[in-house]
Amino acid sequence: MTTHNPDTTITTTVEYAPEQPARLDWAKHAPEVYKAMVRLEIAARQGLDHKLYELVKIRASQINHCAFCIDMHTKDTLAAGESVERILQLSAWDESRHFYTAKELAALELTEAVTVLTDGFVPDEVYENAAKHFEEAELAQLIAAITAINAWNRFGVTCRMAPGHYQPGQYK
Amino acid sequence: MTARTRALDPAVGRALSALSATAKKGLGDPALAELVVIRASQVNHCAFCLDMHLAIAREHGVSEKQLGLLAAWQEAEEVFDERERAALALTEAVTVLTDGFVPDEVYENAAKHFDDARLAHLIGLIVAINNWNRVMVGRRIPPGGYTP
Repeated sequence: MTTHNPDTTITTTVEYAPEQPARLDWAKHAPEVYKAMVRLEIAARQGLDHKLYELVKIRASQINHCAFCIDMHTKDTLAAGESVERILQLSAWDESRHFYTAKELAALELTEAVTVLTDGFVPDEVYENAAKHFEEAELAQLIAAITAINAWNRFGVTCRMAPGHYQPGQYK
Repeated sequence: MTARTRALDPAVGRALSALSATAKKGLGDPALAELVVIRASQVNHCAFCLDMHLAIAREHGVSEKQLGLLAAWQEAEEVFDERERAALALTEAVTVLTDGFVPDEVYENAAKHFDDARLAHLIGLIVAINNWNRVMVGRRIPPGGYTP
């Protein structure tokens, strides 16, 4: 079909790049390691607000470039009723602070600091701001949750787990 | 320096310990495991983890020469063999994801030296020490608390 108006429907097949195969089925080759990861995940999310938890997961996965984790957590977050806007703005949260609560912003800042340790430590002001919004036990859970998503990111990226196949709630 | 907090949910602590223990066991090379763990802790600047694992490495008989030159392992070919070098390159790549992915040549070189099961456990070990690094640096747990 041909047309002179690019806005009308054109039936063309878009050719995407082929999907890359996974490098390693790590959970199959290290089942006890996988079990420990699941235990960590379950323990780390206790006591944390679910919406906040998912924002933390998505932001860490963006920083660590984990396509599989982004696929999973954006779908889960959307399915749980989060707004598209808040998800899309997440990679620029510092410039779109009015989309988030002060508590969420403190959590996102801590997420970035704990995720990127290579630049040097977790700044006092970041930690102290988080400590203003989270009481001690909840803050410990937040640190655990940031740690857990960093762990999943490392497996996902290293083993090149393919994004796109996740169904919301698949691992719940 | 005092800790910011020592709070850590016991169930989280047990899961972190289980992950470390099972990954180290599956790798089946305690001396290499310590090199991996120390290198990741150097990259992540975790004083508590360095203090603890330098002590454990010495218990496992890792030489002072290897411990001293670990931060510059790429420049010390005579001190680290091919298998150790493959593991250390993977450790750095998996620890620093922010610069972009784990390069094919790094992954493939590791896969040449470790079969699938050992490689899965090696990756698990790198993840496990990255976990501890985050939990310790985040809470600023001071070094020196570990006694063998």
